[in-house]
Parts: sequence; structure tokens; C-alpha cells
Amino acid sequence: MADQEKTSAPVTRRDFLRQGSRVAALTGLGGFAGLLVSKLKSETLVWQIDPAKCLRCGRCATECVLKPSAVKCVHAFALCGYCELCTGYFVPEPNELNTAAENQLCPVSAIKRRWIEDPYYEYTIDETLCIGCGKCVEGCHRFGNGSLFLQVRHNLCLNCNECSIARACPGDAFRRVPVSQPYLLKTSYSHG
Amino acid sequence: MSALQKNTDRFQSPCGSKAIGNGQTAVTRRRFIGGQCAILGAAALGNLATGSIFAAAGRGQRADNSENPFAYRVDRFEQTNPKLIGYVEARRFKSPCSEPRRMAIGGDQRIYLAGEKRICVIRPDGSVATEIGLTAPPQCVAVANEVLYVGFKDHIEVYAANGTRKAAWEALEGDPYITGLAVAGNELFAADSGNRVVIRYQLDGKIAGRIGARDREAGVIGFVLPSPNLDVETRGDGVIHVNNPGRHRVECYSVAGDLLKWWGKPSAGIEGFCGCCNPIGLALLPDGRFVTCEKGLPRVKVYNANGEFDCVVAGPESFRENARAGAGSTSDPARIGLDAAVDSKGNVYVLDRVTGNIHVMVPKTRSGTAR
Ligand code: SF4
Ligand code: SF4
Ligand code: SF4
Repeated sequence: MADQEKTSAPVTRRDFLRQGSRVAALTGLGGFAGLLVSKLKSETLVWQIDPAKCLRCGRCATECVLKPSAVKCVHAFALCGYCELCTGYFVPEPNELNTAAENQLCPVSAIKRRWIEDPYYEYTIDETLCIGCGKCVEGCHRFGNGSLFLQVRHNLCLNCNECSIARACPGDAFRRVPVSQPYLLKTSYSHG
Repeated sequence: MSALQKNTDRFQSPCGSKAIGNGQTAVTRRRFIGGQCAILGAAALGNLATGSIFAAAGRGQRADNSENPFAYRVDRFEQTNPKLIGYVEARRFKSPCSEPRRMAIGGDQRIYLAGEKRICVIRPDGSVATEIGLTAPPQCVAVANEVLYVGFKDHIEVYAANGTRKAAWEALEGDPYITGLAVAGNELFAADSGNRVVIRYQLDGKIAGRIGARDREAGVIGFVLPSPNLDVETRGDGVIHVNNPGRHRVECYSVAGDLLKWWGKPSAGIEGFCGCCNPIGLALLPDGRFVTCEKGLPRVKVYNANGEFDCVVAGPESFRENARAGAGSTSDPARIGLDAAVDSKGNVYVLDRVTGNIHVMVPKTRSGTAR
């Protein structure tokens, strides 16, 4: 419960930007803050996914009015194991642990794998490719540390009055959050 | 200087030190890897979704994966070929304490279960013989000659069978997270997931050595622990057996710290260790074989003394709720997956950390249902 509360607490834009350093997917979105402010100045609430409720059902990819979806995978590096065999990156039974397309789980090859130090690898999301399908999120949740998760990206989202993904979401994971706190990030853990 | 250390301007420590760089995370070598043990935390994630057979398991809201064009499919690994199952469940009982973590079986054939803030001593029929109250959550326990060794996060305490505390050993330095204990003869071995090393203790609490530590100069990778699940076992023959989950193998060391051999391979298939980091628990059968526990695809298997797959004790179909819980579902990494202990007859006791059930598994050959 406490964990869910931690996850569910909306993140201020300032915190989010600061936490950008913890969320790989934010790279390359330098204009995000300005866009957000100009687009949503007059609005008070925006849509966001509570990662504690998301069931990785695939509808974030198929139900958004935008194609590709405004939902993207983000990566909380603080929770990542930097695994050689990342179950968010590789299909369940890869031929080899390399970047060959047949070994990749992501249907659009949006996850980049970079060697850090034997045997550790870093995984980052190319949001320009990500379609928000949640496949990697499920692989990471099931076998890994759950560091990959889905978020509505407000530099893309139209903030529809009635979000069509929210209507279809089987986990009731979509909710309105203040525009000043538009993200629900997984950043904490409680070891010891 | 390692590649990771060079990268600290890009990264941020997972343990929450100051932000650095430009939108990426990470890691001084030490904090980064140490942090792997801190992390499983993966804050949040109450609800779970994996499709396949677990969709029928019942609890909570679930997506129907049959409709999901992007479903993550491991269905084919979730049902065990009955011909490979070498054990039957003789009985099952509920752990008397919540949040059970690890267990051991004493010479008296009783189960010593570490959980909550106590050690529960359980008779083989599941009834509680006694309980020893503790001031902090225990992570693991070992027992020999009616003496209990209780592993806490950063230190070990020694208890008499009547619950009297006899000693509290000095806390370990660094970033300790003790997750496994084994005792034999005059020595105790403690698996420290936080510092990624096995500590060799004398029974008076003095440290006699460290086993399996990373040695970059010598090219020794050491224990790779995306989640804090280091375990250690010994038969008291001068050899200790340690799981190396991130490398999907079991390693055998001399007590002096020499790596003697290793076995195991990554695979979601039944003969290998699945996911990013398995096995997470070990037990030793009296005849020289090994028992391994996995998470993700929660399963317990037996390997022979050469490390070749022998049989399945219990497959994912026996632990449906555990499978659904997945690794990212709790902030406490010790509350996922399975643990196992073996009695003198070769029966395997499996602790499901998610449901709190203890499954008593008896070899089919002895139960009259030979494979
Ligand atoms: S629709 Fe809901 S449950 Fe499905 S992936 Fe999106 S947030 Fe998760
Ligand atoms: S698997 Fe799906 S959610 Fe994950 S990075 Fe690829 S497109 Fe995005
Ligand atoms: S509000 Fe509209 S654009 Fe934004 S995620 Fe929902 S459907 Fe897509």
C-alpha cells in the first residue's frame, strides 16, 4: 500500500524535470516544458497513468486518438538491474544476447542497448519509435525489477476531454492529475 | 577506472545521491551495483498482468491477453511436462508468520522459518512448536546443534533453541544485505547480497575470509545480483555452493575462496534458469543433488551433482499467484519468489513467499507414484 501511495503521488513539473535524470525516456525532449506550459496553460488537469494500476494490456498502443500513441515507455534507471539478459529487451528465449532484430522483444526496436561494463548493460527508450504497447513493461515487471513503465507524454498528448484510452483501460489506471504535477513516476524503493 | 565510473557525469546513483548530468541516470560502480540490491523495490505495482494460465487464477483485475496483440507470451513455459515432475505434494500448510523470507530444516527435522520479526519453529506436520521474537525482520536462518543463526540485514545473531540470545555479531561494513546462511562444522557462511560476497565466519563471530568478491584486475566478475537473492549452502565438505543469479548459474567454491566449478545456463526452458536473474535459492539433497528455486516462472527443480537437469519438484502451475506477483510488484524483494529446504529423507519443503504456503514435496518414487 505504501508503495502504491509513493507511486501515485503526482510529480511536480520541477520534480519531473529534475527526475528526468532518472527517466531515460526524457532525453531529447528539451522543449517539453515550454510546450506543456503553452499548450496547457489554461487547463488544470491532464491525463496520466498510475503505474501501480497498469495491467500492460496493449490498449495504450491501440486506443489513443494519436498514431502512434501519446503513451510511451519510460525507464526508472534507479530501479534497473542493468541486466545482461534484460527481459524487457529480449524475447523470452533469445537465440543470442545481441541486438539482432529477432532477439528483440520490442515490435519497433525502440529500446537501445549499450554495454556499460561486463556484464552490465544500459537500456534507453527511443520515444520517437515507441508506440506504448507495454510489451517490454510486462517483461520487466514479470522477471526484472519493474523499472520500465508507461506514461502519457504531455509534449504529445492532446489532453482530450475524454481520453479514449482511459475509456478502454481495464486497470482503471488513467486519472486526472494537476498540470503542475503531470507525471506519476516510479522512483522510490524501500530496501532496508 | 571502470567504464561506469567514467560515466558518472551522465548518470545518477540509484541510491539517491545528487542528480548529475543531462537526463540519464547512473552510477558510480559501487553505488550502482550496490543499488541493484536496493532496488527491486520498484515502488508500486499492486496489480499484475500476465496472461495465459494465470488469467484464471482470479485475484484482482486483469487484462485478457488473448485480445492483446502485444502480449508478452511465456505460456509455453508455464505448464510443466508431467513426465519431468519427480515429486508429489504430500501436504501444504500456511506459514504462521507473515512476510516469510527463508527457511532451514534442523537436525530435529523441524522447520525454522524467518519472517516478520520472528523465527517460527514448525513441526513437520505444520503445527507450531515455538516462536522466537526478534527486534527486526530476519532475512534468513541456519541451524546446527540446536543453535540458531539468524541473518538480519547487516549482522548475524545467535540464539539457543529456547530463544535466548547468545550473541550479536558485529555489523558488516559497506552496503550489507544478508540473504542466505549456511552452517557446517565450526564455520558459518553468510551470503551478503549488498556487498556481493560470501562471508566466512568462525562460530565466535570472527570473519575468517571473503568468498566470490569481484576482482577487476583478475577479471573475476563476481556475483551479479540485479535483485538481492544471494544464497549459500554447504555439506560441510570444504565446498560451498552459491547461486550467481545474474549469470544464471551455481558456483562451487573452496572455503578458501577458489572457484572450483560452476554449472547452469540461462533459458526459459525447463533445463535452464529463466529471466534476468535466477536461481534465487538453493538447497542440497542428501544424495549430492541440488535443489534450485526460480522467480518469474516460479519453479523448483533438481540438478544432479554434475549440474545436469534431473527433474522438477514443482512447476509454475503450482505457484500461480506467485507467478502473477512478478518481480516488479513489491518494494520488498524478499517477498517474491520461492525458497526451499530439504529434510534428511530428501523431502523438499518449498516456501512460497507470496502466498505464505509451505509445500511439502515427496519424491514420487517413495510416494508410490513413480514417474
Ligand atoms: S490501457 Fe490501462 S492497463 Fe492497458 S496498458 Fe494502458 S494504462 Fe495499462
Ligand atoms: S516494447 Fe512497446 S512500450 Fe516498450 S519500448 Fe517498444 S514500443 Fe515502447
Ligand atoms: S488524452 Fe487523447 S491524445 Fe492523450 S493519451 Fe488520451 S486519447 Fe491519446
